[in-house]
Amino acid sequence: MAVDDVSFTVDDEECYGLLGPNGAGKTTTIAIVCGLLKADAGEVNVDGEPGGSLRAKAAIGYVPQDLALYPDLSARENLRFFGQLYGLVGKRLERRISETLELVGLAERGKDHVGTYSGGMKRRANIAAGLLHEPRLLILDEPTVGVDPQSRNAILETVSGLGIAVLYTTHYMEEAEKLCHRVGIIDDGHLVAEGTPADLIKDHGGQDRLRLTFGDAETKAEGFAATCILMQGVDEVRRIDGGLELTTDHGPAVLPSVVRQAGQCGVELMGIEVLAPDLEGVFLALTGKDLRD
Amino acid sequence: MAPLALAGILGFAFGHNAPKGNLTVGVSGASPQLVAAAAHATQLPSTVDVRVVPDAQSLKRDVRDGTLAAGVILSGHHQKLTDLLIPIVAPGARHSPGFEVVSRGSSLVGEEWAESITAGLSSRLYAGRIHPGSSTRLAAISVTTESLGNASRGVLDYFAPSIAVIFLFIGGGLGMRSLMLERSGGTLARIAAAPVRPNRVVVGKMVAIFVTGLTSILVVWGATTVLFGADWGAPIGVLLLCVGASAAMCGLGVFLTSLARNEQEAFGVALMVGLFLSLLGGNLLPPGSLPGFLQVLSLGTPNGWALVGFGRLSLLGDSAGSVIGPFLVLCLIAAVTVGLAMIRVRRMVEP
Repeated sequence: MAVDDVSFTVDDEECYGLLGPNGAGKTTTIAIVCGLLKADAGEVNVDGEPGGSLRAKAAIGYVPQDLALYPDLSARENLRFFGQLYGLVGKRLERRISETLELVGLAERGKDHVGTYSGGMKRRANIAAGLLHEPRLLILDEPTVGVDPQSRNAILETVSGLGIAVLYTTHYMEEAEKLCHRVGIIDDGHLVAEGTPADLIKDHGGQDRLRLTFGDAETKAEGFAATCILMQGVDEVRRIDGGLELTTDHGPAVLPSVVRQAGQCGVELMGIEVLAPDLEGVFLALTGKDLRD
Repeated sequence: MAPLALAGILGFAFGHNAPKGNLTVGVSGASPQLVAAAAHATQLPSTVDVRVVPDAQSLKRDVRDGTLAAGVILSGHHQKLTDLLIPIVAPGARHSPGFEVVSRGSSLVGEEWAESITAGLSSRLYAGRIHPGSSTRLAAISVTTESLGNASRGVLDYFAPSIAVIFLFIGGGLGMRSLMLERSGGTLARIAAAPVRPNRVVVGKMVAIFVTGLTSILVVWGATTVLFGADWGAPIGVLLLCVGASAAMCGLGVFLTSLARNEQEAFGVALMVGLFLSLLGGNLLPPGSLPGFLQVLSLGTPNGWALVGFGRLSLLGDSAGSVIGPFLVLCLIAAVTVGLAMIRVRRMVEP
């Protein structure tokens, strides 16, 4: 079974992220919402309409993970074809084509064949096709896979400024944190947790970690570790390759004390890194697996 | 596997089991005994059959439609003479025994054998006693030849629709392959996610494949007619056959290709099955050249029925009404194959 007992809602103007590794069931969930797959049980409701109905489909803008465009047609021709499927015709269709191409930054390349586009441009054209008919709910399935950082930022900016309900699947926790008001964590077809990124991190993300890297004073490290465990605010100390990792509720607060203690112990600190808890940690805590597995 | 399959098809069709006498010359207006004697005198090879045909009209029709490679017609004024093994040119006869060698022009070998048989027949006639008093003019044998249509144009008239019909199947198969590419590329999912009923998508895709096929054969018809002077026959009949053949062949192409597991396999299926059908239906061979059992089997294929219709129009010059039968058979095949194809396409589109 690809997905089981997955329930969530996406509110107006909310960006809801489905976060999970490849094969977790994100695309299957989306296919059911879009009416491309039939669920064995349960129901989907889109804007008050039963999932899979023509009205529900009309309310959805679907941006699949594949570059679902005809490479031998221009972006404008692609949009014209897909727009007509949603009932757009005439001047309204042409206006919407121009508006969406402008929105995704492809206005000047609209007449070029999609096959000549870069990976990032194809992704943006793919999104334009989903936005064309002004949907109530935009569904984006891993829209930034395989694109360069610049295009990724452009896509994230476009999505964040839409002001409509968005269902966004990704296995990049930074995207989910940056973009999504709420996140559902999905693994092996099950929704294992749901909430705002801050709440999820607070509840499941654990504590800050201070990662200290030493110079050549390995012999003094044992003594330094023993003093660290006695410091106020430090809950756990463990040896890592070339240094120590301290677990604390608030890393920046204990950092001055740690640096001072290192000096007193004669330990040369080559590197200090404060690792705040994130969704990656949440996923690790909830599933025992790394998000990128 | 493909070359082995091809070798099997060719070997089965034209191998040692096929009859050797694959070139048939007809003779009308002569008794079987006279024809047998003439054939013996001519020392025909085993690959040439000589057949007695009841009348000149039937013989010309068989030559036109390719059943016969060529024919010899003995003049009707000497019907009585030809009933005799050793005929006698009667005194006072006003006409000398005449022969008409009939060919389509495209079968030069057939024409040469027909002329040889004519020589054999005339030798049997000369072997008879000439009645005293008959003039040498009366005893002379006249031989005329008639070519039923321009040779090169005749070939084009038949083979243009014949080959175009096979491309209808391949076109249908490639249409299905493009649908598979749409599925793997994601555009089919995007279409399925749009507020359009699946039936409309299925019908739209099928109509697109059919119209593409129909357009292609109509373009071949127009181009060979306008640019190369081909004559496919009565236009209404040609149009009926083009529609029927497009529906049947495209439907079959879409259905059979849809059984492939992926786009690459679909491409191979379209070409291989297309070649198989063309061999089975006789599209790649001159009319009437198929071995007897394959001529029967060819009627199990839509292209075989299309050829029957196109042959009647172009080779026999029949009216449009003569293709009603083949057209109805094509429609029947189309109803089945298009139905099956739509079921397969619907599975690709529906959740």
